[in-house]
Amino acid sequence: MTCLSPRLASCTLLLLAIAAPMTAQAQEFPTSSRVEYVFECMKNHDSKYEYLYKCSCAIDAIAKQLSFDDYAELSTAKRHQGLGGERGAEFRDPTLVKQMVRKYQQVEQVAANACFIQ
Amino acid sequence: MSSKVILKHLLVIAGALAVSNSALADEQLNKAMASPKNWASQAGDNANHRYSELNQITSANVKDLQVAWTFSTGVLRGHEGGPLVVGDTMYVHSPFPNKVYAINLEDQSMRWKYEPRQDPGVIPVMCCDTVNRGVAYGDGKIILQQADTTLVALDMKTGKEVWKTKVGNPKVGESNTNAPHIFKNMVITGISGGEFGVRGRLTAHDLKTGKELWKAYSVGPDADMLMDPAKTMTWTNGKMAPVGKDSSLKTWSGDQWKIGGGTTWGWYSYDAATNLLYYGTGNPSTWNPSQRPGDNKWSMTIFARDLDTGKAKWVYQMTPHDEWDYDGVNEMILADIKVAGKPRKTLVHLDRNGFGYTLDRVTGELLVAEKFDPKVNWATHIDMKTGRPAVVDKYSTSLGGEDVNIKGICPAALGSKDQQPAAFSPKTGLFYVPTNHVCMDYEPYKVDFTAGQPYVGATVSMFPAPNSHGGMGNFIAWDAGTGKIVWSKPEKFSVWSGALATAGDVNFYGTLEGFIKAVDNNGKELWKFKTPSGIVGNVNTWEYKGKQYIGVLSGIGGWAGIGMAAGLTKPNEGLGAVGGYKELSNFTELGGVLTVFAIPGNVTVASAK
Repeated sequence: MTCLSPRLASCTLLLLAIAAPMTAQAQEFPTSSRVEYVFECMKNHDSKYEYLYKCSCAIDAIAKQLSFDDYAELSTAKRHQGLGGERGAEFRDPTLVKQMVRKYQQVEQVAANACFIQ
Repeated sequence: MSSKVILKHLLVIAGALAVSNSALADEQLNKAMASPKNWASQAGDNANHRYSELNQITSANVKDLQVAWTFSTGVLRGHEGGPLVVGDTMYVHSPFPNKVYAINLEDQSMRWKYEPRQDPGVIPVMCCDTVNRGVAYGDGKIILQQADTTLVALDMKTGKEVWKTKVGNPKVGESNTNAPHIFKNMVITGISGGEFGVRGRLTAHDLKTGKELWKAYSVGPDADMLMDPAKTMTWTNGKMAPVGKDSSLKTWSGDQWKIGGGTTWGWYSYDAATNLLYYGTGNPSTWNPSQRPGDNKWSMTIFARDLDTGKAKWVYQMTPHDEWDYDGVNEMILADIKVAGKPRKTLVHLDRNGFGYTLDRVTGELLVAEKFDPKVNWATHIDMKTGRPAVVDKYSTSLGGEDVNIKGICPAALGSKDQQPAAFSPKTGLFYVPTNHVCMDYEPYKVDFTAGQPYVGATVSMFPAPNSHGGMGNFIAWDAGTGKIVWSKPEKFSVWSGALATAGDVNFYGTLEGFIKAVDNNGKELWKFKTPSGIVGNVNTWEYKGKQYIGVLSGIGGWAGIGMAAGLTKPNEGLGAVGGYKELSNFTELGGVLTVFAIPGNVTVASAK
């Protein structure tokens, strides 16, 4: 394959297709889940408009690091750390869940660093 | 004719009137339940099938489901149960403060809203989140069982109170989380508070007036339990035999039965053919078994009672002398299936203790008792002659004694399955069961009883079942005729949502990540959709104007939020039973949300190939 032709655009597309694994993973995130993340993230930052960009950047950065299923599981583990009672023990006690929470915190930190999120 | 004779005659006539009155079925409910377009009771029918004949949504087109509309309850914390649909109206409930909304299905506008004024003082005595498992419908009324033990009937058209009664006292630790059930012209309700030394019972109320018709305790003297020592039967040495005199009292030390637990917060069922009502009783109080020697009857028991009189026809205790908090309250599913090649009228019950029981629901005979999670280890098997579990010594917290940490018990106190109801498909003959795959370390300790204070007496630590897939849940298909797992679909977290089976060969359940999932009859995942919060509600289906809908409540909370609702500031004030308090996580959801799905455009049954 050569990329010397004037059909540069299609050539670029081909290159993108080769780089597919990462792209496919990112695409796997449903738009609704990205929007949901941005809503929540904005709310956690006093609903400042600039966080529309920062939080969008963050969920894209998260989607580059995790598959959607992993994202759903890890974020659930973190979210339910506050769940009390007998049921909450499922999230408080297991080492596995603690590891999931740590992993998600790392992923979010990478995203925050990449997106000017404080 | 003497006046005495006249009086006797009058009493006979009055008695006959009372009997015929109590034998009346509620025509409205029966009619509504007969059409699969409605979802007129929490389980869709009296047999707890959670099965729908609707088949517009099929294994072929389920992937096309989209959100049709949503409704937010505005309340945080766990949303269990599900909405009812009767005709063109949906009835949705919320956790404490137990709001009820009537929604016009045409445009999702609100027909009425009911918000009871309840003393938040009940919140600290609710052990396991301020959940409510939904309302019941019958005789032009919507019945709500509030947390503070008030049972209230609302006019289904206006939401106005028709009658109101109290079935317990929160000051002594009594509360309610169960859905009321309407069978014939009676409302049946239970009580929660096993972690507070409450003495469990079931009460029956007149659907017209709320008047109490009978009350049947789970533990105590025969008369209180509406038990006939000569006629109430139980599985004994391979056959049914009378329970005998004082069958409960003999299994408790002294007066301990008075705070003996055996609460009744699960799902009840009813078989019109025999007029029998079925339900299970919860754990004996406390969780420290050393403090209550004996079998602690009839906690952890399946009860079959005559609906009209409340008299116990038969009983079967699954976990005598509970040592692990394996409440026996899970739903009793009434199914006509083959057992050992023969068609039987069975009761199927997937218990917290990890065993799936199949009994003859007419006689109470034990037919099948097998593990529905292969990791269950506290007992090797159920002795089919005695009906008792063969307990493994090293997992006995009673043998271990106080202040000894018994490790690696499977399942955990949450059970292999909690209240989240399974579904039964008469089409496949299989049960679709949401399960936990969690084990625990359990350390009992001595605890003193004070009315209205937690009476727990054990510290528990939980972890995923070892040497398995690493996750904490499975969604399984169960063959109750043979006691075998047909297939098992692993989940990362426990499955705490009620299942739905449909004639479209597609079955639904929800996960703690917030996915509602559809699987075919072989357990293959066909579709999933992420709702805004974890799902602990039950999936329901109905039809409106020719279109089939699927709905589920999402929203999970826990004790963490209770302090806020109660206006409490000290972290431990909101706690009922085990577990520590953690900081409230950032909830940004607008409370619980009902998400309703349908297939866009014109869908006909024929389009599914």
